[in-house]
Amino acid sequence: MYINPRIKITLTASAGSPGVGKNMGVRKEKERESCPDTGILDSTLVMIAVLDERGTVMVWNHTAETVTGYSREETVGNDRIWRLLYPEKEYRDVVTEKITSVLATKTYFKNFETTLRTKTGSSRIILWNTKKRKGKGKTRIIAAGLDITESRKAELFRESVIENANILIAVLEKGTVIVWNKAAEAITGYSREEVLGRREIWKRLYPDAGHRRTLTRQITEIIAKNRYFENFETEIVTKSGEKKIISWNTRQIGTGEARQDIAIGLDITARKEAEAALAAYMTEMALRLKGPVEVIRDNLSDMSHLLRVGKLDPDDIAVLLEGQVKTAEKVALNVQEFQRATAEKHQEIPEAYRKFLAGE
Amino acid sequence: MTGIVRPEDLLAKQIFLILAAPGNIRECNIGIIKDLSTQGYHSVVITTNFPYTILKKLYGESGIDLSGVYFVDAVTHHTIGSAENIPGIVRYVNNPANLTGMGIGVTEMLNEHKDEKICILFDSISTLLVYLPSTDISKFIHFVTNKLRLMDISGVFLAVEKGLDPMLMTQLTTFVDKVVDTG
Repeated sequence: MYINPRIKITLTASAGSPGVGKNMGVRKEKERESCPDTGILDSTLVMIAVLDERGTVMVWNHTAETVTGYSREETVGNDRIWRLLYPEKEYRDVVTEKITSVLATKTYFKNFETTLRTKTGSSRIILWNTKKRKGKGKTRIIAAGLDITESRKAELFRESVIENANILIAVLEKGTVIVWNKAAEAITGYSREEVLGRREIWKRLYPDAGHRRTLTRQITEIIAKNRYFENFETEIVTKSGEKKIISWNTRQIGTGEARQDIAIGLDITARKEAEAALAAYMTEMALRLKGPVEVIRDNLSDMSHLLRVGKLDPDDIAVLLEGQVKTAEKVALNVQEFQRATAEKHQEIPEAYRKFLAGE
Repeated sequence: MTGIVRPEDLLAKQIFLILAAPGNIRECNIGIIKDLSTQGYHSVVITTNFPYTILKKLYGESGIDLSGVYFVDAVTHHTIGSAENIPGIVRYVNNPANLTGMGIGVTEMLNEHKDEKICILFDSISTLLVYLPSTDISKFIHFVTNKLRLMDISGVFLAVEKGLDPMLMTQLTTFVDKVVDTG
């Protein structure tokens, strides 16, 4: 964050000495009357503090008050605020050393991040930009601090979600992978060190050049039409040579140079295997139900024929009928087994089968 | 002669998978045994469908010399609860799902008649599906075909056409030398 050069800051217009004006509201009014530029400072959402060379606060704007909880009365005219904002000596020394070393060689520093303690004891992350200015023999340091606590929290949350999601997430910028989450590492076997900042991962996941060309053409066609694709299933080859089926969803964010492509891949290998196993099982069971019923039918038909031509006596008929009863009993058991198995695998049954089993 | 199994193929000790229409499978069984008998073969019939007593009667009525036909019967015991083996003629297996018992029965029957010109008939793979999953059936047929090849014996497996899982059918095709569809 840079100070807008159009904002004129009157460094000599001290916000007052310590102890002056116990009624802050009244003093603010007076300040606004005598120094209209402070009003401009107060209207910005950036913390602004003006310091002298020893760190004494000369100006402390409204946002600085709001963010830190410390009023102008408490800050202006002394340098105690820094001890309050950075109460841990060790951390304060690190911050001071950093600022001192930068300002020894430059008149400014950019994007220096610190975590300060507010008056109520909470922590805020501030991104500081400062500039040293000299005028009328005096040196003043203008510090602008942007409270990035919420955006940093959101960023951490987003990173945490991406990292801990059990789906592959890759973010690409002009084809170069810039995000490769833990799940992506686990699913593909390729670590982020092998992937980030490069474009070759797709060649590794789809090693067959012909297949890769076909996929690229399909993806290009879909994206040209919709700018994204959903549930696009492909088979990848992992680092260990294992084949996995991934269902891809993509989205584009930003435009032009800032455009990023997000690829989200769900490993559906197990689901596909379960579906295939279930389909095979159902085929098998259909045969094991159809076949026996046909055996009973054909045997009864055969018996009928043999009976008509007088080739069976009552004992033969009894034995053959008992055989058919046994077969029928087995068919009933097979049906029960089938019902039990499909009920147990209910979660894995594809929608089409579920409807079929539900009689829809 | 039905001509389903050619004499030269039997001489070459080939193993066959015969596919028959459901209403034709019994006639097919009788026809094959008749052919084998005519060609001087003794037969071991492994039955999972018609009991020994009925098959013996039907074979007899078809003019087959029963002195050259032996049985491994997996139906009778399961159906009526008890049956006594007749040495050299019939061995009963308690249940069609008892593949171990069936394997032992076939091995022992073949050993008892090892000096004879012999062929086996398995009737039928389709009936086994009532009792066993395809995977178990495939393993069992593989075991039996290996046994036949080791003993240099020809064999015929009967199945109802279109009654087998495509995967099982593919596997069976690789175990046998010839598939004959009588449909």
